[in-house]
Amino acid sequence: MRRAAGLALGLAVAMLATLIISPAVAQTAPPSAFGAPKERQAAPPAFTVPQAAPLSAKGPLGGVLTWVAQTQQKMQRMLAAAVKRLKQGNALGAALFLAGLSFAYGIVHAAGPGHGKAIISSYVIANEETVRRGILISFLAAGLQGLTAVALVGLMLIALNATGFQVNAWVKQLETVSYGLVFLVGLYLLVTELIRVWRRRQTREDAATHNHAHHHHHDHDHDHDCEACGHIVDAQELAGPLSWKKIVAVVVSVGIRPCSGAVLVLIFALTQGLFWAGVAATFAMAFGTAITVAVLATLALGSRELALRLGGGNTRWVDAVWTTCAIGGALLVMTIGGLLFAASLGPTRPF
Amino acid sequence: MAAAVAGCASSAGAHPHVWATVRSEIVFGPDHKITGIRHAWTFDEFYTAMAVQGLDANGDGVYSKEELEPLAKVNVDSLKEFAYFTFVRMDGDEKFLPLTPPVDYWVDYDDTVLTLHFTLPLQTPLDPGSKGVTVDVYDPSFFVAFGFAEKAPVKITGSAPGCAAKVDTPDPESAEAAKALSESFFSQLGPGSDYGSQFAQTVMVTCDAP
Repeated sequence: MRRAAGLALGLAVAMLATLIISPAVAQTAPPSAFGAPKERQAAPPAFTVPQAAPLSAKGPLGGVLTWVAQTQQKMQRMLAAAVKRLKQGNALGAALFLAGLSFAYGIVHAAGPGHGKAIISSYVIANEETVRRGILISFLAAGLQGLTAVALVGLMLIALNATGFQVNAWVKQLETVSYGLVFLVGLYLLVTELIRVWRRRQTREDAATHNHAHHHHHDHDHDHDCEACGHIVDAQELAGPLSWKKIVAVVVSVGIRPCSGAVLVLIFALTQGLFWAGVAATFAMAFGTAITVAVLATLALGSRELALRLGGGNTRWVDAVWTTCAIGGALLVMTIGGLLFAASLGPTRPF
Repeated sequence: MAAAVAGCASSAGAHPHVWATVRSEIVFGPDHKITGIRHAWTFDEFYTAMAVQGLDANGDGVYSKEELEPLAKVNVDSLKEFAYFTFVRMDGDEKFLPLTPPVDYWVDYDDTVLTLHFTLPLQTPLDPGSKGVTVDVYDPSFFVAFGFAEKAPVKITGSAPGCAAKVDTPDPESAEAAKALSESFFSQLGPGSDYGSQFAQTVMVTCDAP
């Protein structure tokens, strides 16, 4: 029930955001700067910004990918225009518009391909986390990502007067650290789960040899036996000690990496002399991201719940689903962390 | 479900964060051969703000040519690792032709957006012949979204009678494109990600038979 309610809330908020955004979109006249490029390419005095032909992807999923990429581009342009508009009168209206736009950008950004949500979704299915905790983790991670971005840009550009490229270099370092930590979290989950499975098997086999002598009916014995132990395990798992240590680990591993989108918005706002607007936009964006991630984590938990129910109360089935989710989720977290870590060690990007 | 989660993750890192509008010149030498590609890449306002941040060394509010020069150098130097995001080959060939480090590079900044100009010489001048030559501009990891300018995206400089260059609109139904996607779809996560190739835009250079 709660799951469905959470989902409905997420959808409602997303729809609300669309409603807030759409009239604003209509108001946004195309910036006059996007005219035709000059005939000559070499720095004409009145340079006009050339507009790129719309991106389009090939292949069966091309339509969806194209839509996501184009929407992001459109929204980024609108964000730039919104920050600039703050400087000209009606600051409140422009600020609200910026906040709404950032929020929607956060949702779309996270709805596009990304890893934060994949990591968090895998984490929650790997653990006996409840929906409420899945949502909590999503919000904490997104909040921390926003905070890291604000702290990084504020500290480096305002306090240390660094260049944009130095900030970028830091973002890259933090990315590497983050992915490394994600890998370790996955490894930790996997090891603890394997130890638990092994221990449980030990205790079960002990119990089996104690109570029943006939091993040839092993299957039956097992089932019978687990009526009891399954319940005990379930109870433990549902109560699941709220492991702050684990939650902090996953939140920090994901959140220590500032969102590059937020960093760009912050720097842009700063150059316009409106750092506060950038901060507000960052947190609105983080809120939007958190909602998308929370919805996806909830869906992941919902699928696990469904898988559990498919067994119709068979404890061995339930057990198998838990174990599969725990091991599979841990492996996914590890794989994503490891691959991204490797990718982040690549050469410095020119842009 | 695991597959679904893996599917989401597989295109990780595939958010474009930088948008560049591309205008290119196909440079022909005197002997009717392509000697190189001259690019002008105009970046979005966010990237521009990041790139020029802190470069106004004397704090006079003006970004002079001297102040921006290091930026152009950093850009072109690090482009090498990414094959200059420019892929040249004879139409239908598998192999991309080698390019040499950029020459004549500089950046323009008009207080709103930044444009990077540079010329990429081909290692060996290339005769488009009857097959034609294709030039793709894209970032395989799709961190940078390159798109050709809507107007005058490409032109020919130098003497090339009978030759024409135009941007090919991708045919979404083409079997080759579908094949490219299915091949790359599950190998997008790692360092060798090729997600961006789906968005590649191709310049086609053709010449009439002499």
